[in-house]
Amino acid sequence: MKSKNETGPLPGYFGEFGGRYVAEVLRGPLEELDAALGLLDRDMEFWKLLGRIREEYIGRPTPLLFAENSTRALGGARLFIKLEGLANTGAHKVNNAIGQALLAQRMGKSRIIAETGAGQHGLATAAICAKLGLECTIYMGEVDIARQRPNVFMMELFGARVVPVTSGSRTLKDAVNEALRDWAASSADTHYIIGSALGPSPYPEMVHRFQSVVGKETESQLHDRGLEPHVLVACVGGGSNAIGFFSPWLERDVPRLVGVEAGGRGVGRGDHAARMNGLGVPGIVQGYKSLFLLDGDGQVQETHSVSAGLDYPGIGPQLAALGTAGRVEFARATDRQALEAVSFFARHEGVVFALESAHGGYQAMELARTLSPDQVVVVNMSGRGDKDLFITARELTPGPWRRFLLDEAAAIPAPAEAEE
Amino acid sequence: MKATRKPMPIMAHMIPFFPDLPRSHRVARALIDGGARYLEIQFPYSDPTADGPDIQGAGAQALARGFTVRAGWDFIASLREGDGSPEQTPLFVMGYAGLVFAHGIDRFVARAAELGVEGVIVPDLPLDSDEGLLEAGARHGVNIVPVIALGAAPHRVALVHEARTRYIYASLRRGITGSHTDIGEENIAFMEELGSRGARVLAGFGVATAEQVRAVTGHAHAAVVGSAFVRALRALEQEADNAKADPADHDPDPYGRVRALVERLTGLEARNGPD
Ligand SMILES: Cc1ncc(COP(=O)(O)O)c(C=O)c1O
Repeated sequence: MKSKNETGPLPGYFGEFGGRYVAEVLRGPLEELDAALGLLDRDMEFWKLLGRIREEYIGRPTPLLFAENSTRALGGARLFIKLEGLANTGAHKVNNAIGQALLAQRMGKSRIIAETGAGQHGLATAAICAKLGLECTIYMGEVDIARQRPNVFMMELFGARVVPVTSGSRTLKDAVNEALRDWAASSADTHYIIGSALGPSPYPEMVHRFQSVVGKETESQLHDRGLEPHVLVACVGGGSNAIGFFSPWLERDVPRLVGVEAGGRGVGRGDHAARMNGLGVPGIVQGYKSLFLLDGDGQVQETHSVSAGLDYPGIGPQLAALGTAGRVEFARATDRQALEAVSFFARHEGVVFALESAHGGYQAMELARTLSPDQVVVVNMSGRGDKDLFITARELTPGPWRRFLLDEAAAIPAPAEAEE
Repeated sequence: MKATRKPMPIMAHMIPFFPDLPRSHRVARALIDGGARYLEIQFPYSDPTADGPDIQGAGAQALARGFTVRAGWDFIASLREGDGSPEQTPLFVMGYAGLVFAHGIDRFVARAAELGVEGVIVPDLPLDSDEGLLEAGARHGVNIVPVIALGAAPHRVALVHEARTRYIYASLRRGITGSHTDIGEENIAFMEELGSRGARVLAGFGVATAEQVRAVTGHAHAAVVGSAFVRALRALEQEADNAKADPADHDPDPYGRVRALVERLTGLEARNGPD
């Protein structure tokens, strides 16, 4: 076989990362997806329909807020917040879910499967399936189901079947494995909507494409106000909101682009989900080559973050390549710092960041403090924090929250029969 | 009658450390003594995307019981030393790309060669992005066994033919391991096509009865049997659990059960009644 170096970068690679490392059973469905994507460029109907749904259903464009009070309080650069969390269903995830669901319809698929961790991607997928009349199955780790019950309720409200995943660590990565297994057997009528810019090619580039609307809007919103950004900041789980937000500037030298990973409760094994800055190692997991958190024997490590959406051992291949090449800088925010940012922006701006996004929020606060007033920092609030109520309330006001939950539980009459 | 019949060729799948280390040694022994033509030794992995529920669960248990890659090699070394059969049973190592890549592809293959392993199977390192696996196999003298699935596009099948490997591993179903597979016309044509240029076709996924083994081995070099052994071992564990109240009644050694299963699958031991 030819080595990659002789032939230049292969399609599906970003530098040394990316690729399509899948068992042969998944090859066919991925090639079918390649073919469908190849037709999109000339499919004006598709983009028109997507544009209309973005406007009418998602509520695009999402606002760019000048965080005036925060800017004053931090005493440095001017801080702007892209309020992506105002998108219908509460996060940027819907941009990708809708793009892929429409594509699936183009491909003649009647059933959608997806994995979810926090539930945001599952929620967006379930919602759009309800809207488009597609059958929907969501794979979700048992552990995540237990800690994200409200989103499970919402997905079921939209008519999706939520399947608990009991293998492995019973979290997001295991939900991906289960969805891949489903797809291996079901691809004739089923499309798998991956929720982040990762997985085997063509997923990373496709998700990037559907999320680039965030960056394009931000660019024109800044332009309309005559502003040049100096730093853009986004949180990074798999990397879909970050790559979409950074998208228009990737090929340029400025502005600085900063991705923020989950620092969890420290840098010890299993205490965080940060893969860059030397913590991750090159690996091949779930169909793509990138940087991963592996244990000494090459097994995928368990990870921790207060935000389920960042609690994943791998990073999308394009961001890994951009980080290695130095175009994107990476920082970490801890669980505590993310919670601090949630409180800060709630107090100063009347805006509640999702815990994931608050990792970016914290780093933006740090940057705004140290940069000068003629500089502009823009942070992507990828999601809003309503979904985190049960986590933030417990962390920030444990006493009253506990009393509330006890009273609530007491007020629900025990079902007479067994529920299931 | 037993002694005169020739066993049908199967490649029996097993996982070191499942159900635990000592018992997995007994499992291997039973598979060899029972007449398995080949052993496929799977190195368990945290994220086995192409395993069905049985093997997935067994792999997770093996990891929990202490499997490491080094321990996997030790297992193979001791198997080779202890193999009393006149011709040593050829061993294949199966692992996912994540594990093999993390250990260094060349190093992994080199170690397999040192231990006399016949072939290495990495289902998610397909020939056109194999990270140098095929070359490493040639360098160290170990067969790399490409995996191809029923329904694969002609250009994928061509890729496998072009590699001219000694063995080809054929998945006889479109999904993943575990559920029952009918050996119908489509599968037969697939196996014949794969073997048409002289490669030895190891065919499986969902093969769990002597009847299926007979159907497969009519058209392939050997039938791969995996989940059936895992299920037998699980059943044994279940019985052990149920017998906890009276442990004296229970024999925890899986040897007898596994050997009987191999003999049944290979047709060495005719059962009463149809398979
Ligand atoms: C609000 C929000 N932001 C960010 C993420 C992380 O994903 P990504 O890095 O793909 O944007 C998630 C994932 O669930 C999320 O819900």
